[in-house]
Amino acid sequence: MYKTGKFITHSVIIFLIVLASSCQKKEPIVITPDHFHKSIDKVVDIMVHDIFSPPVASRVFVYPNIAAYEIISLKEGKFKSLSNQLNGFQNIPKPNNPEDINYELSALIAHMDLSKKLIFSEAMMESFRDSLYLKLEDQNKTVFENSKDYALQVSEHISQWMDKDNYKETRTMSKYSIDTEDISKWQPTPPAYMDGIEPHWNKIRPLVLDSASQFKPAPPPEFSMEEGTDFYKEVREVYDISNKITKDGDDSEEIEIAQFWDCNPYVSVTRGHLMFATKKITPGAHWIGITKIASKKSNYNIAETLHAYTLTSIAIFDAFISCWDEKYRSDLVRPETLINKYFNDNWKPILQTPPFPEYTSGHSVVSNAASIALTDIFGENFQFDDDTEVKYGLPVRSFDSFKDAAAEATISRMYGGIHYRVAVEVGATQGIDLGNYVIENIQTINE
Amino acid sequence: MMINPRFLNLITKYPFFISIAMVLLWSCKEKNDVVFRTVSAEKTNISFTNQVTPTEDVNILDYMYFYNGGGVAVGDINNDSLPDIFFSGNQVKNKLYLNQGDLKFKDISNKANIEGNSSWNTGAVMGDVNGDGLLDIYVCAVVGLNGFSGYNELFINNGDETFTESAAEYGLDFDTYSSSAAFLDYDKDGDLDLYLLNHATHTPESYGKVEVRYKRDYQTGDKLLRNDNGKFVDVSEEAGIFGGVNGYGLGISVADFNQDGFPDIYIGNDFHEDDYYYINNGDGTFSNKLMSSFGHTSRFSMGSDVSDINHDGLPDLLSLDMLPENEKVLKSSVDDEDYQLEKIRIENYGYYNQYSRNMLQINQKNGDFKEIGLLSGVAATDWSWSALFADFNQDGEQDLYITNGIIRRPNDLDYINFISSDQIKNKIDKTNLVDQKALSKMPSGKVANYIFKGNGDLTFENKSQSWVDHNKANVSTAMALGDLDNDGDLDIVINNLNETASILENQTNSKSRYLKVNLLYPKPNTSAIGAKVYAYTDNKLQFKENYTCRGYQASSEPMIHFGFGDSKKIDSLKIIWPDNTYQIIKDLPTNQTITVKPNHTIPVKNQSKETKTIFSKVEGNLGIDFTHTEDSYKDFARHKLIPYQLSNKGPAVAIGDLNNDGKKDIFFGGSKFKRSHVYIQRDTSYVSKEFNNILKDSIKEEVSAAIDDFNNDGKNELFVGSAGNDFQPPSKPLLDSYYTLKDTTFVKESTPELYNNNSTLEPYDFDEDGDLDIFVGNYTITNDFGNIPDSYILVNDKGIFSVLDPNPFEKLGMVTDAVWEDFDSDGLKDLIVIGEWMSPKLFKNNGKNFEEVNLPGDLNGLWQAIQPFDIDNDGDTDYILGNWGTNTKFSASDDYPMKMYYADFDNNGQTETIVCTAKDGNYYPIAGLDELASQLVFLKKKFTTYKSFAGQSIESVLSKNMIDKAKVLEVNELKSGYLANDDGQFKFMPFKNILQVAPVTSFLKYDFNNNGSNSILLGGNYFGLTPYHGRLDAFSGALINDINSINLGPKIGLNFLKKEIRHLSIIKMDKKSYLMVTTNNNKVEIYKF
Repeated sequence: MYKTGKFITHSVIIFLIVLASSCQKKEPIVITPDHFHKSIDKVVDIMVHDIFSPPVASRVFVYPNIAAYEIISLKEGKFKSLSNQLNGFQNIPKPNNPEDINYELSALIAHMDLSKKLIFSEAMMESFRDSLYLKLEDQNKTVFENSKDYALQVSEHISQWMDKDNYKETRTMSKYSIDTEDISKWQPTPPAYMDGIEPHWNKIRPLVLDSASQFKPAPPPEFSMEEGTDFYKEVREVYDISNKITKDGDDSEEIEIAQFWDCNPYVSVTRGHLMFATKKITPGAHWIGITKIASKKSNYNIAETLHAYTLTSIAIFDAFISCWDEKYRSDLVRPETLINKYFNDNWKPILQTPPFPEYTSGHSVVSNAASIALTDIFGENFQFDDDTEVKYGLPVRSFDSFKDAAAEATISRMYGGIHYRVAVEVGATQGIDLGNYVIENIQTINE
Repeated sequence: MMINPRFLNLITKYPFFISIAMVLLWSCKEKNDVVFRTVSAEKTNISFTNQVTPTEDVNILDYMYFYNGGGVAVGDINNDSLPDIFFSGNQVKNKLYLNQGDLKFKDISNKANIEGNSSWNTGAVMGDVNGDGLLDIYVCAVVGLNGFSGYNELFINNGDETFTESAAEYGLDFDTYSSSAAFLDYDKDGDLDLYLLNHATHTPESYGKVEVRYKRDYQTGDKLLRNDNGKFVDVSEEAGIFGGVNGYGLGISVADFNQDGFPDIYIGNDFHEDDYYYINNGDGTFSNKLMSSFGHTSRFSMGSDVSDINHDGLPDLLSLDMLPENEKVLKSSVDDEDYQLEKIRIENYGYYNQYSRNMLQINQKNGDFKEIGLLSGVAATDWSWSALFADFNQDGEQDLYITNGIIRRPNDLDYINFISSDQIKNKIDKTNLVDQKALSKMPSGKVANYIFKGNGDLTFENKSQSWVDHNKANVSTAMALGDLDNDGDLDIVINNLNETASILENQTNSKSRYLKVNLLYPKPNTSAIGAKVYAYTDNKLQFKENYTCRGYQASSEPMIHFGFGDSKKIDSLKIIWPDNTYQIIKDLPTNQTITVKPNHTIPVKNQSKETKTIFSKVEGNLGIDFTHTEDSYKDFARHKLIPYQLSNKGPAVAIGDLNNDGKKDIFFGGSKFKRSHVYIQRDTSYVSKEFNNILKDSIKEEVSAAIDDFNNDGKNELFVGSAGNDFQPPSKPLLDSYYTLKDTTFVKESTPELYNNNSTLEPYDFDEDGDLDIFVGNYTITNDFGNIPDSYILVNDKGIFSVLDPNPFEKLGMVTDAVWEDFDSDGLKDLIVIGEWMSPKLFKNNGKNFEEVNLPGDLNGLWQAIQPFDIDNDGDTDYILGNWGTNTKFSASDDYPMKMYYADFDNNGQTETIVCTAKDGNYYPIAGLDELASQLVFLKKKFTTYKSFAGQSIESVLSKNMIDKAKVLEVNELKSGYLANDDGQFKFMPFKNILQVAPVTSFLKYDFNNNGSNSILLGGNYFGLTPYHGRLDAFSGALINDINSINLGPKIGLNFLKKEIRHLSIIKMDKKSYLMVTTNNNKVEIYKF
């Protein structure tokens, strides 16, 4: 009796399940480029919340982009896999039953899954993901499940490759050791006097470069605060420019430029015991934002969009490694420290000095590298209106080309009072050379 | 406690009933323990509420001291022997309450004309400014900021319960950023002068150099105001008072700290500006002696108070800070300063050692203070404003009440990192409007006030939950004392923020005995401000100085109060009047209030005669000009979670004849990359000499050394132990060194290839084969703290050393010291080894090898040094053991040992250690989330807010898996003491608290008194710590003749405060013996005795 009852119960349940599944919708799942833009925007928001430093942020962008790109390149014959083109990277697994897979969906899921692994506040990513899943799952459960299974397989494959990039090991390497006796060496700067961030970033495996030092720039001028020396002139120029544009007032073009390209993820503000942070996106995120603007303006499809994101984020990723390699090699003191010591102890730069050595300018290296990649994709003289940081209270600025934008980002660091001229100029060259190397050394279009 | 067997039976039969009974009993007991009863506003009629209302112009964003509170002053304004109460409110009107007896008060504010006209009042103090025998009231104000108007107001008492505001007439109508003021007669001309405390408000975005304080700023700089016949003249500059824009003055204490008859001043400054310790030079000027007198101070200094807490007749000082005790608050608030930043602040900008906690500074006779707040148990009372010492329960010991709390905690890490950006950034930068909703995201900082019972042994017991009947969480700022109901005990008045003022009635009443002394002094200093009163009873001295402006923004009743427990009479009461003459009253009954006027006074003799001490410094140091310089390696950069540095244990010292001339020479090891030094003894001095082969090894960090004739060639050899915790095995610089003398040069011989960080070398011919073997004690394995290194014996075979096999000392422990001593009296010396995170270990020597003899019980300590000595004079050898001490944030007990978890938690090939201490029965990691996550990145994902991490025990922070795989090291004893030898049985006896103020790291046994019996000299202190711990610098040294005869450093002519003692040695020259003191990163000192 009991057994029969149980059997009956089971049968009823199975029947109901069958009934329910036969009721399931079988609509095609349509993924658009906007799905990717929104997902990346979400990751950017979480990174701002979690406070990722610029180099680490570049890593959060690049791996999910590669995963999504690799999946979509299986479908789109136009684009070539990056397998064996990036250091240590091998083909992603092929799907078992390609016919039941929505590649765009797989690409999106892999992108979100890897992003989630890379940020801290997973719950923020999960709520975004789950609401999206609920909608898509409802449209076609079978395809959804198949695409998801495959996406997670690819995500795992990329994860394993990613885990060998030395990120984990560098987490526990020694902190930057401050040399208080040598004034030419970098020192923490007001107001938060933070530790030098990512002193071992040059140990991260680059994607295209053969080593972190491949684009090692010429060293900065020899340190000397003797009047008349090259180095002295560099410091003096930062001070003079700052005085001039401060006199011109907040509405001056230079101040607008400096603030537009600030891209500081953590500006610390102290008022007595009250402290708070104003947070913005990183330089890398700004250029990812420009990539989005250009892709949308060009009406790119998903594959083209992912191609643009991926190539740009690879250039940015390697640019940070190259720049950070030089930063902790030359270990150069920031203008703020020297100006306070030698010229004016009340001087503050227009932008808050970021917590790492001065030479070369990270924004200069990264912006120029990114602009080369974007020009390669979208062409020279691509006009765009940059509204990336409107939500952070910044205006829209228009540019006639990516290279124009990069040049403005470069000089903005001098206006901001956080870099010497030599650091932005040499940094720009470093970024351009590196960008060209990246586009010349990876093949993304099938001939 | 004796337990009746029938009672035991009851317990087993009726456990539930008994527990109820116990609870009832307990609550009864608790009730009896109550010292203070909160008296309701209905009864007192005191309804004053310092209500602060944020507006668009004035709020915590625009004025950083928005929640600092008002003032309170207690004093008898109408001379009816009942102390009255004055409150100042920040935005509300001042109030004056006339005491009508029986704790009933009458609001006479309006009639009295004291309600005030400034927009933002702060401190309030009473003093007889014009010397007419009536207390006047001075109320400070912040003016010229955020639209605040007005000036500091001086309400002159008309004698008819009305006042006339006369600040301008007296020259005291300052329109500055005043926080408080104190009356004192600094120039001893008989009238009251005023120190006006101002606070800077500019945001301390960048430190700026200390020199900023020399540039006077009218609004923020403190002012010393000399009373010239009723007109107050600003003499700050000529008197040497700082007045810069970085004087965040919140605390002021006046006392004759150096007991030279002239009042000195301690100023507590918030933020990075150092506190000021102004010593009165007696000629109208002051000198800031902060750095030379204190080892370290509070960082965010707030209020302060002075009292003699250890019965030595010297004023001690407590300065408040804001360290929370509660784990949840602690771990979600901004951490201590980064250790590298501390170095920059000190070395580049010139500031002093400051750590964020309350500091209890004990006055030494020699002008130095030793800080013992952690030992005393008063270091962490959260966001604290006022502290007042008094003998609340009248048992003869000073107790302590501390007010605290903040409406919103602006240093909340989640607020700073995750909330502020989105919530308020745009508001304040763009429109300057404050969004109350955004501010409300800051957690509330209401906390219950603290009350501590003085235990009489330098420690205080937290009685916050039992001594006060309704001690609820609130925000309390200024506070004052007075005997409001004239029953002999001291009551408390507190100015609360956004809540009615509190009146706490002391219920001690007749339970223990008191003496109240009212001092009457000729005009104009009618309250005898600056008088000193000494009460002697039963061989105990109590000492009070008559300063009324105490605590924070307040003044207390001008009166001296003592408690005497059961003592019916005072043997003698000595009063030193402000003019430095004294009188003595003998055989005074207690439990009374007396009024004393100067009568047949005698001038105080200058106590200039130096008492003769045992030790005195030798000029010229006998030619030994060695200064040890530590290398700049900081372990914390590489090994972020280790509890203390391991790389600064040098220098090595060895004494012996190195040039075969019959005179003993000295070897000093160098730190990493720094050369060693050899001093050769000549007839009348030592001269430095360089031995090339020894110098070649300067790459090594040399921490131990031994000079002896190891190869029996009639000449001495040198053996040196290497450490430093930087070079990794198998790096050659980790190998120990062995040099033999050939002709006149040293030749380097090989040593076994063992790569541990050494700590101690103890030569002894354990196998009695005629040559010296060496016990090599090892401390750590580089970059793997928590793993246990092997120690070993090097067996000497004609000058060739090999490791004793089998090795009984494998994985022996983190060894720090060892000693050969025949503890079983079998004629063979045995070995006793001590170290950190381990128990002392006894090894019986059987002539060939060793057997461990177990000590009963757990005795895991952070042992630093061992010395055999018959300390209890019973004829057998006891063992003196130096430990970490209890003046530390570490805590350990048998029930709750300190634990260190050791494992590669995140499987990245690098081990970590996590040190945890227990609080309320749970174990919490000492490190905060950011610090832990800097090494264990997965925690960033596990805890995405500080709130989610704060208050989590170690079991919740790590996974069970990780806990299970970790090795756990423990410490259950932090006190120094001795193993008492009782017929061969050993029992650990801790020293008393005066010897627990810092790690004890070095001993020297010698007949210093030249009386045929040995004494033990102790040295200590340790600075290799992050700002979380601060510097353990409070041990002045001590000479122990026996357990009942202990003399601290100042008494014997030594002062080891602020020095890290590594070795104490005897050197002999020309038949005279000298004491040589070797310190880390400092100069060697030579003393004669």
